[in-house]
Amino acid sequence: MEKVSFFDEIEKNKRNSVLLASSIFLVLMLLVYTMSLAIIPEFSIFIIAFSVVFVLIYIYSTYNYGDKIVLRATGAKEVKEDDRRCVHLFNAVDGLSIAAGIPRPKVYVIESEEMNAFATGKGPEHASIAVTTGLIKNLKRDELEGVIGHELSHIANYDIRFATLIAVMVGLIAILSNFLIRGMRFRTRGDEEERKIGFLILIGLILAIIAPIMVRLVQFAISRKREFLADASSAKLTRYPDGLASALEKIMKVNRGKMEVSEAVSHLFFVDPNKSPLDKLYATHPPIKERIKILRAM
Amino acid sequence: MWWIVPLVILAVLVLVSVYYVNRITMLSNRIDNAWSQIDVQLKKRFDLVPNLVETVKGYMKHEKDAIKSVTEARERMMGTSDLKSRMRAEGELTRALKTILALSENYPNLKANENFRLLQEQLEGIENRVAYARQFYNDSVLGFNNMITTVPGNWFAGLTGRNRPREYFEIEESEREPVKVEF
Repeated sequence: MEKVSFFDEIEKNKRNSVLLASSIFLVLMLLVYTMSLAIIPEFSIFIIAFSVVFVLIYIYSTYNYGDKIVLRATGAKEVKEDDRRCVHLFNAVDGLSIAAGIPRPKVYVIESEEMNAFATGKGPEHASIAVTTGLIKNLKRDELEGVIGHELSHIANYDIRFATLIAVMVGLIAILSNFLIRGMRFRTRGDEEERKIGFLILIGLILAIIAPIMVRLVQFAISRKREFLADASSAKLTRYPDGLASALEKIMKVNRGKMEVSEAVSHLFFVDPNKSPLDKLYATHPPIKERIKILRAM
Repeated sequence: MWWIVPLVILAVLVLVSVYYVNRITMLSNRIDNAWSQIDVQLKKRFDLVPNLVETVKGYMKHEKDAIKSVTEARERMMGTSDLKSRMRAEGELTRALKTILALSENYPNLKANENFRLLQEQLEGIENRVAYARQFYNDSVLGFNNMITTVPGNWFAGLTGRNRPREYFEIEESEREPVKVEF
């Protein structure tokens, strides 16, 4: 019984990562194809050949360097073990990685008064964990351990591989569809050809509008379920769900939801870094109150 | 075409047993790995002890017994090889170290010593890690024991030669009690 559910979760995450990468590839190819037909049909073959290579390289480098991109984008700086400010942080990360049976991830710190954290990387062997200075400053040991346990279980379950892939893909698709919609305006063509390719352009337009929304929907649906699961795994690691619960309570009081991070990476974080007034449906994270309630009941 | 049915059944059987044999072996290896995690931390603590004793000796002139019990527990650890006696010796060392740290509260000069503070911090960090390593070890043992004692894992456990449940890393009774210190 014990590891089986996590085992399944890991397999699912690995499979989803492959599915995501290949469907992104297909959507991108469709986008590029319609784009080339709309703008310069004479060279569409070359454009497609070129973009196949480009997209393959893009997916490969996302897979390998996605974590670096995300860490850079959030302004995280790596800290070493001898840093006196982070003694407790390292103790928590060390101890809990042992408890989770994974190698210790690299540790990064983000200068921010907000309390937040995230994990990224390919898998347990290549993982990084980042926490804000506000988090280190405001939390007691068992609270910090609760948060770190949450992030470490994202690592151990391969959530990070999938989530990091999504983060970088969201960015690319947004750029491309934007480009496509703009490109439409510069088209000059005869009526007959217009009709021939009009259908394709329509598809392209629909894709350009729908693709980003689809990716965001996937981002929302999966990340909320993951947060609950990671909370539960954290409790399993620390054997003290109240630590995480009181960390969440503090965060609810302190955070003003004004961390300057891109929307594309917001689903990676421990709590939503940009608290939006929008409704529940559009949130990448389950409401903190609900998380606390579940943890207190454990 | 009648032979195709037994062939399919045989293939399924082989696949299922390969899966379970691999899984049991993997779970068993995880226990060994978990043990080596504990070992790494205990080794670190072991290496800290002489340093601690040196630092403490000058300040705690009246606590000869407490210091002696730390040194003795460390020496006893070197002589052990099997799991049981090893665990007992570790328990003794843990307890002796706790006593020393509790007694140090009486010596403001010692507590002000930078070297001692660093050692104390390191020791606390290690104790914390030992506790987590032990938890991972026991979790691994639980996973393995569940696998080889429940259906269908127990049918395949014999095939791997690992059909005996593994031992948990228990805490010594004396370790559970709070440290008694006379002031």
